[in-house]
Amino acid sequence: MDDRFKYRDDREAYSAARVRALEALLIKKGVITDKSVDTVLDFFETRMGPFNGAKIVAKAWSDPAFKDRLVADTPKAIAELNLPEGMAGAEGEHMRAVANGPHVHNLIICTLCSCYPWPVLGLPPYWYKDPTFRSRAAREPRAVLKEFGLAVPDAVEIKVWDSSAQIRWFVVPERPAGTEHLSEMELEALITPETMMGVAVAKAS
Amino acid sequence: MKLQHYLGGLENLGPVSTDVRVFVEPWETRIFGIHTAMMALSSQLSLPKTPSTFTTVWTWADLRKGAESLNPFDYFKYRYYEKWLGGISGYFIANGYITAEELDALTEEYYKNPSKPLPVAGAAEIDERVVQYLVEGDSPKRDVQVTFEFTVGDTIAIRNVPSVEHTRLPGFLRDKTGTIETVYDGAYTYLCDTGPDGVGEAMPVYCVRFEPAALWPGNAEPNFSLYADLYASYLAPLEGEIATAKAA
Repeated sequence: MDDRFKYRDDREAYSAARVRALEALLIKKGVITDKSVDTVLDFFETRMGPFNGAKIVAKAWSDPAFKDRLVADTPKAIAELNLPEGMAGAEGEHMRAVANGPHVHNLIICTLCSCYPWPVLGLPPYWYKDPTFRSRAAREPRAVLKEFGLAVPDAVEIKVWDSSAQIRWFVVPERPAGTEHLSEMELEALITPETMMGVAVAKAS
Repeated sequence: MKLQHYLGGLENLGPVSTDVRVFVEPWETRIFGIHTAMMALSSQLSLPKTPSTFTTVWTWADLRKGAESLNPFDYFKYRYYEKWLGGISGYFIANGYITAEELDALTEEYYKNPSKPLPVAGAAEIDERVVQYLVEGDSPKRDVQVTFEFTVGDTIAIRNVPSVEHTRLPGFLRDKTGTIETVYDGAYTYLCDTGPDGVGEAMPVYCVRFEPAALWPGNAEPNFSLYADLYASYLAPLEGEIATAKAA
């Protein structure tokens, strides 16, 4: 009897015990410390995350010249801002931003794995890592975006960017109408990881 | 041929997941942290030496090789971090850091008693290096002289290179034709030498535009373009153009 298509009944409890055993052994053998994993997780809570990307996009919405610089030379423009140290750090050494407009909608994918711009967006959500998304977005982005609740008109060109080398990509979504009175900080709240990867557009509230 | 190299365009998979969570089980955070610490402590990096006993290389390429070597049914069956847990545990066993027996035995202990505490040990320099790696990164850009064979607007062919263990060439682009959109400044290494597949040493990287109707004849959506960043060794001049150049 082939059990390839079954999961263990205790699937999560088993993985939880196994990863804890692995971490314990690595600490015991001196590979990592008892604080290594928490150090990494804390870094992504406080220093590398979508809160940085939201600041970058809000700035681009408020300052069109900055937006032009961001698209022309992404790392250089990001370095202008007062963001945490490490914006050209792990998985952000070479980043490129693409801007949505009235005639173009950008979608970032990685068909081979899950390349993602860590410093500005943190860690990839499950939808981005899912093999079904990675397969389908390369051939039928409109159908995929519809499943995310986003209908892109046929007149709007969709540009799909497959991250297969050194560049880590993100999208500058369009500023929603009716947000002219909002401060940059208020704008940041409208900018989700999904809008910065292209499976959603920013909405006014 | 590995299905994992040919995911782009695969049909009949059903609806996509729209789950925006990064981790869906608390245990997943731990394997992510272990992986990232391993990358930071990996021996090829020129970061300060630490008392860590980790003496081998661990990069994204190692993690990817593991995922690419899975049975394709398992690749779809297991969640993202389940694959990481399998690959990383296997690496520590294969490289002699731990044994399968001690991992199984300790798994059993934590299974019976999930609140059993972790050991407390380790030098601060180890975690300082982890943070330093995250802040500084590990750029593949190298200051070497390379020849740029193509310029923006050139029509090029994608080679069908012999990939075995690992590749950065998406399968659906093999033997297709594209147009250079960007010539990236400088030369870029890859994390490992992929052998006859052809990447590893510093070389140009191009962003190439593909016409979906040519990638998926009769079966593509209208009004979209697909772009991929590709190492120079995956690109070749169009044969007709070589012939023209020779004749001239």
